[in-house]
Amino acid sequence: MTSCHSIRPLLPARAEELTVFEARARAEHVATCTRCATEAAAYSRLGQALATMANLEVAPADGTLERVLVAIGRRRTAVTTPRVLAAAGASGALVATVVVARAVHHRRQTRRQPARRRPLPGRLRLPSLPVPTPALARAK
Amino acid sequence: MEVDRELVEAAQAGDRWALEELVRRTHRSVYTCALRLVGNPDDAADVTQDVYLRVVRKLGGFRHEASFSTWLNRVTTNVAMSTLKRRARRFAVEGAAVPADTRDPAPEPSERAEAVALARRLELLVAELPEGQRQVLVLRDVYGQSTEEVANAMGLTPGAVKVRLFRARERLKAELEAAEGGQVVALAGRRRATGRRS
Repeated sequence: MTSCHSIRPLLPARAEELTVFEARARAEHVATCTRCATEAAAYSRLGQALATMANLEVAPADGTLERVLVAIGRRRTAVTTPRVLAAAGASGALVATVVVARAVHHRRQTRRQPARRRPLPGRLRLPSLPVPTPALARAK
Repeated sequence: MEVDRELVEAAQAGDRWALEELVRRTHRSVYTCALRLVGNPDDAADVTQDVYLRVVRKLGGFRHEASFSTWLNRVTTNVAMSTLKRRARRFAVEGAAVPADTRDPAPEPSERAEAVALARRLELLVAELPEGQRQVLVLRDVYGQSTEEVANAMGLTPGAVKVRLFRARERLKAELEAAEGGQVVALAGRRRATGRRS
């Protein structure tokens, strides 16, 4: 039989918090030890009372509810509804797609443009001469 | 905290009245949970407001996989823990939660009434636990969150949660016995002697 000393740490635990081995050891010990059985029962009742606390509510200070309602009234927008959220998401995705597509297109365009030729070093760069028109040629 | 699914769905669809009614029905429960976690009425009121601001943002994503009250409790837990981490300060035990007004559930059998009476006394003792122990105990034993959920919410390992939980239960039981002259133990013994489930 297990000793009270080894079982004592298991007494506050709920059944689902113990391993199968621990649960069996506790059950066997409690069945034969009045003192540990009383302790285990006290913990069990404590657990029940704690669970009951979830149903007890504390009244907040006056004005708390109104403050919350005002705050959510300010923050709340129609965007919170699922349909509007979906529509907003789709619109955002569309805008993002267009922006990315334009950026890619722009980049491709700039890549296609031929690179400007740099003048060779040491060579004189002449300005382009005007093409003589027929009237000007005749005058000459 | 009773919340109809229809009411939640109406609030999700953008019905302003439904959302406000949701707040009216649940704010006491949210405030109570926040008060038990942060241990200070002013901060509990701030947490309550932040919870509903988050609810407004996240309600569209609520899929009814869990009950609304369970979801709301998780939101409250997360907001309360974030608040505590952000402010990084401890509250004095003297300023801790003291329930000014508790609402009775509907009349129940004697066993239930006894548990309610005990729960009211426990509320004061829980408020006097060290902060870390109190939070673990409240989340696990009062609101029924799993050890893993508590660990995630508090940024602890499951092992650390179990240790705190063990200490909190042990201390609470000892203080309850001291406060009531061993009444719990006596009740438990009597209950066991009469063969009733305890």
